Amino acid sequence: MQDGVLTTAGVLAGLSGAVSSHSQVLLAALASTAAGALSMGAGAYLGTNAETEVLRSELDRARQEIQQQPYVAQEALLAQLEKEGLSREAGYRVVRLLSTSTKTLVTTAEQKVFGLTGSMLGNAALDGVIMGIAFALGALVPLVPYMLISAARPALFAALGTTAVTLFTVGYFQGWLARRPRLSSGLRFLAIAMGAAAAGYLIGLAISPMGGTAG
Amino acid sequence: MLRPGDVFPNFDLPAVTDGRIGRVTLSGMSSELVVLFFYPRDFSFICPTEVTGFSKAMAQFSAEKTAVLGVSIDSVDSHRRWAVELGGVAFPLLADEGGKLARACGVFDDKEQVAMRATFIFDQKRIVIFSEATPINVGRSVSETLRIVHAYRSGRLCPADWAPGGEFGPDGGKF
Repeated sequence: MQDGVLTTAGVLAGLSGAVSSHSQVLLAALASTAAGALSMGAGAYLGTNAETEVLRSELDRARQEIQQQPYVAQEALLAQLEKEGLSREAGYRVVRLLSTSTKTLVTTAEQKVFGLTGSMLGNAALDGVIMGIAFALGALVPLVPYMLISAARPALFAALGTTAVTLFTVGYFQGWLARRPRLSSGLRFLAIAMGAAAAGYLIGLAISPMGGTAG
Repeated sequence: MLRPGDVFPNFDLPAVTDGRIGRVTLSGMSSELVVLFFYPRDFSFICPTEVTGFSKAMAQFSAEKTAVLGVSIDSVDSHRRWAVELGGVAFPLLADEGGKLARACGVFDDKEQVAMRATFIFDQKRIVIFSEATPINVGRSVSETLRIVHAYRSGRLCPADWAPGGEFGPDGGKF
């Protein structure tokens, strides 16, 4: 969602520096939002799909290995428990207990020995849809005020204003969750976002002669 | 690693025998043959099958005047608890803490810091007549060790895969 907010605010700021037409900037921002949502969604889908395929293959291999050579899995699990601080004897008793259920032994060995869990398997389609929607929702934060105000400069300030408030709130909330100073966390988010928007505006100003329009 | 013909190194190690802590020395061994097998650790999942395997076959080894000794780097206390865990072990478990004996036999795994799975059989003169080592995840065959003991004690020429009751080679013959 943050990507949607920042990217769109950046596009609005950058284009406002390059062109003076409100409708042209809005059109470009809308196109950018659509493209961004689709590409983020597609990227998330492809990434999760690839990760899931590899993980599923690794899980299958690990399960096969454990079932064919349970002693080896037991020894590996025992070694891991020792590394984590359990005494040899205590670890042996734990593994023996786990071995009373094949499923439990397999799951525990997967997690502790191979570092894999079934819960890591993602839903690629769901990830793609959520990512796309989140991007689009984020994009609305600067887009809606820009759409509602017909004059270019005031519309830009309004868009940047809502962006600033939103990102400050996100940073503030993150600080609260992480039990860190909330004000500084919010201000840090704000500074980064406004810095990106300012840079975009300046770049737009710089390249505007190439398009034959003034900002 | 020690090979047939080499002299087995002297040792004097703490040991657990029938639940009692004591010491086992090479000079104190009175059997005609000794099977001494190293294993990596107490409280593991491959080792117990070997230790219990040798324990169950103890009567057959004894019938061949052969003593059995198990050795790992664990302490005598660990051996004592391990023997209880296994329901009793019919031969001494020696504590080679630090791996001095294992190193002397050339079977100490420096990477894992444990003894390898190695088996030695030596006679009353401490001459090694058999030695083998298997990967750490591969348990040994107790029946094969017993077969080697039977074959050696027969004093005859034994063909490949010879087992008690099988035919020997010709007296004075060679393969």
